[in-house]
Amino acid sequence: MPLFPRSASAAKQPAGTSSRAARRIRKTGVVAAAAAVVMALSACGGGSEPQSADGTVELRFSWWGGDKRAQLTQEAIKQFEAENPNIKIKPEFGDWSGYWDKLATQVAANDAPDIIQMDEKYITEYSSRGALLDLSKYEIDTSKFDEAALNAGKSEDGLTGIAAGINAATILANPAVFEAAGVPLPDDSTWTWEDFERIAAEITAKSPKGTYGAAAYGTDEASLGVWLRQNGKSLYTSDGKLGFEPNDIADWWAFLKQLSEKKAVPTASEVVEAEAAPLDQSGLATGKNAMAFWWSNQAPALEKASGGDLKILRFPTKTGSADDAGLWYKASQFWSASSRTKHPEEVAKFINFLANDVKAGEILLADRGVYPNSDVRAAIEPKLTPADVKVVKFIDQIKDELGEAPAPPPKGAGSIQEIIKRYTSEVLFERLSPEDAGKKAHDEMKSAISS
Amino acid sequence: MSAISELSSLSRRKGRATAEEKKANGRDNKAAYIFLLPWIVGLVAITIGPMIMSLYLSFTDYNLLQPPEWTGLDNFTRMLSDARLHNSLGVTFTYVFIGVPLQLAVALLIALVLDKGLRGLPFYRSVFYLPSLLGGSVAVAILWKQIFGTTGLVNQVLAMFGIQGPGWISDPSTALGSIILLHVWTFGAPMIIFLAGLRQIPNMYYEAAKVDGATTLQQFWRITMPMLSPIIFFNLVLQIIGSFQSFTQAFIVSGGNGGPSDSTMFFTLYLYQKGFGQFDMGYASAMAWVLLVIIGIFTAINFIASKYWVFYDD
Repeated sequence: MPLFPRSASAAKQPAGTSSRAARRIRKTGVVAAAAAVVMALSACGGGSEPQSADGTVELRFSWWGGDKRAQLTQEAIKQFEAENPNIKIKPEFGDWSGYWDKLATQVAANDAPDIIQMDEKYITEYSSRGALLDLSKYEIDTSKFDEAALNAGKSEDGLTGIAAGINAATILANPAVFEAAGVPLPDDSTWTWEDFERIAAEITAKSPKGTYGAAAYGTDEASLGVWLRQNGKSLYTSDGKLGFEPNDIADWWAFLKQLSEKKAVPTASEVVEAEAAPLDQSGLATGKNAMAFWWSNQAPALEKASGGDLKILRFPTKTGSADDAGLWYKASQFWSASSRTKHPEEVAKFINFLANDVKAGEILLADRGVYPNSDVRAAIEPKLTPADVKVVKFIDQIKDELGEAPAPPPKGAGSIQEIIKRYTSEVLFERLSPEDAGKKAHDEMKSAISS
Repeated sequence: MSAISELSSLSRRKGRATAEEKKANGRDNKAAYIFLLPWIVGLVAITIGPMIMSLYLSFTDYNLLQPPEWTGLDNFTRMLSDARLHNSLGVTFTYVFIGVPLQLAVALLIALVLDKGLRGLPFYRSVFYLPSLLGGSVAVAILWKQIFGTTGLVNQVLAMFGIQGPGWISDPSTALGSIILLHVWTFGAPMIIFLAGLRQIPNMYYEAAKVDGATTLQQFWRITMPMLSPIIFFNLVLQIIGSFQSFTQAFIVSGGNGGPSDSTMFFTLYLYQKGFGQFDMGYASAMAWVLLVIIGIFTAINFIASKYWVFYDD
């Protein structure tokens, strides 16, 4: 149905003249449309542009992390560009929460960044599907690497990740909050989970409203992993299955519920809100929690955000002996590369710089964990800030107490964290008993990693 | 004359067109199609192409990184036993069937007030319209999160009266309600349409009713509502379709995870998580088509039901 009635003059025009005009219009229209299509297609092509006329190569590099990491990483990029004037590195960074959605979309759209900061939870997912480059085929020196850290990036698909740093699961404590509550810091080589509960509850009771002894665990798999290892189980088995039973995780939630009932940890609502907060606004950084569960490499950034001094503590144990803490060295992150990068040599050069160059080490220090390259680790020691020194000391300190290295997370492990989080809030809001949550979560996790 | 009767008179005029006029019509259409070409190219490349692709993907197992594998109806049968999907349908239906009527009622109420010939009407109209320009935006959703947080503005005000409010958006029992409220707050677009509809009702009906001694309430139910029913219908259809698809608010307010405890896990949000979070794009595509069918069914029901309550004045 025509919305606009034809004008009378157009209708009366002689047919001959208008058809020639129409043909002309048609031609112009087709040309214009073709041009539009070509333009649209070339815009979609995206990705890293091929080498430009003056011989410079542009590489895209994406990572997750807070402000401090962005600042340090960009400094390292500048240093690399100064030494390699024909390579330009374009940074793309953001928070952990949006990082993986974005990366999945980019990879699917054939628009993946050339250099990708990768996590152990996802590395199998990506490498088993051929999205990551086998870096062993390129010139990256791994001779000085810590063996366990190097192996963490290896799989049947080759060396798809170079460990960026070594990490351990820790509890970070804010001494200022302890002091204000008049509670002494615990001795982390002998404390038990009962001590943890008692101390946290005491701090909450003696602190102003809204301040709690500890942040709740149950928002990621690190704290679950430690708990399981202390009970002789593990998160995953080496053949890619779950290494625990429903009642193991139910016990973990039952203890969390007990902590919540004793007000050792924040209310359920506050726990949910805290999940969404970036590192700089976390309960520990803002002085609302005396203790919280973090990776060791996050201590300096958190210390900076809190503006005070933080203490790194071992996890409590069941037995009161640090030898049973069940900690392990984790590759904090990996440097990975897209298998579709057009410039694998340049990518390898940049990763080699990040992993092995003392100049990069002097800039990045311990932000991504302790350097796996022993030479770099020794060379940058004098440059480390007091916060970094604490991290390195802690990592050295626990060396003899470590349990065996955990099995690598299987394909599908990326969704485990979300499942843990969801059932943690079901338990805290008392919508499910720990036993029911344990059963349901176990089922869901099983199907997540088997598909 | 209402827009609808205008359209019908146009089609009557078309019916009377002579053969010569029809020929000229065809020529004009060709020119029109040429002018439309860039748009048609866009429609095919950006809308229809991906739609066909997603229809194909809905019958496959596609993990984004490897080529899709044909699995037939597998995705659809999996949906039958997916408890989280059923929950997300429940959340979406609650949102649509509470949010839409509530929003339209508020929109109509404000439109009635504004229609009374307020001084500075354009100003108020703009002010009330503002939220719906902003409502779907990320910034407002973030603001909402702040206002309804545990220590947010709402709870600070409640605290003045000695009430300890819950964490509105972090408590599973109130989170969806807060998002529905955000939806109701963006009543501006239907309000503007109502306002235009109210302006079209001839004053003489009201004058005649007044002479007969009808109360304001009687005038509203006997004159305003029937005369406005095509506009209400229009708003209803648009809002239901839009609400089934809403995504941004829940995504931002829940931090992308539909939490707490899946209480704000909209169908679209779950679809997104499946596709981009869990690399299950085949399943996500199948979900998109299920949503399309659901929306189609509800729109059809709407049109069928409209025969019984919508009154056309021509």
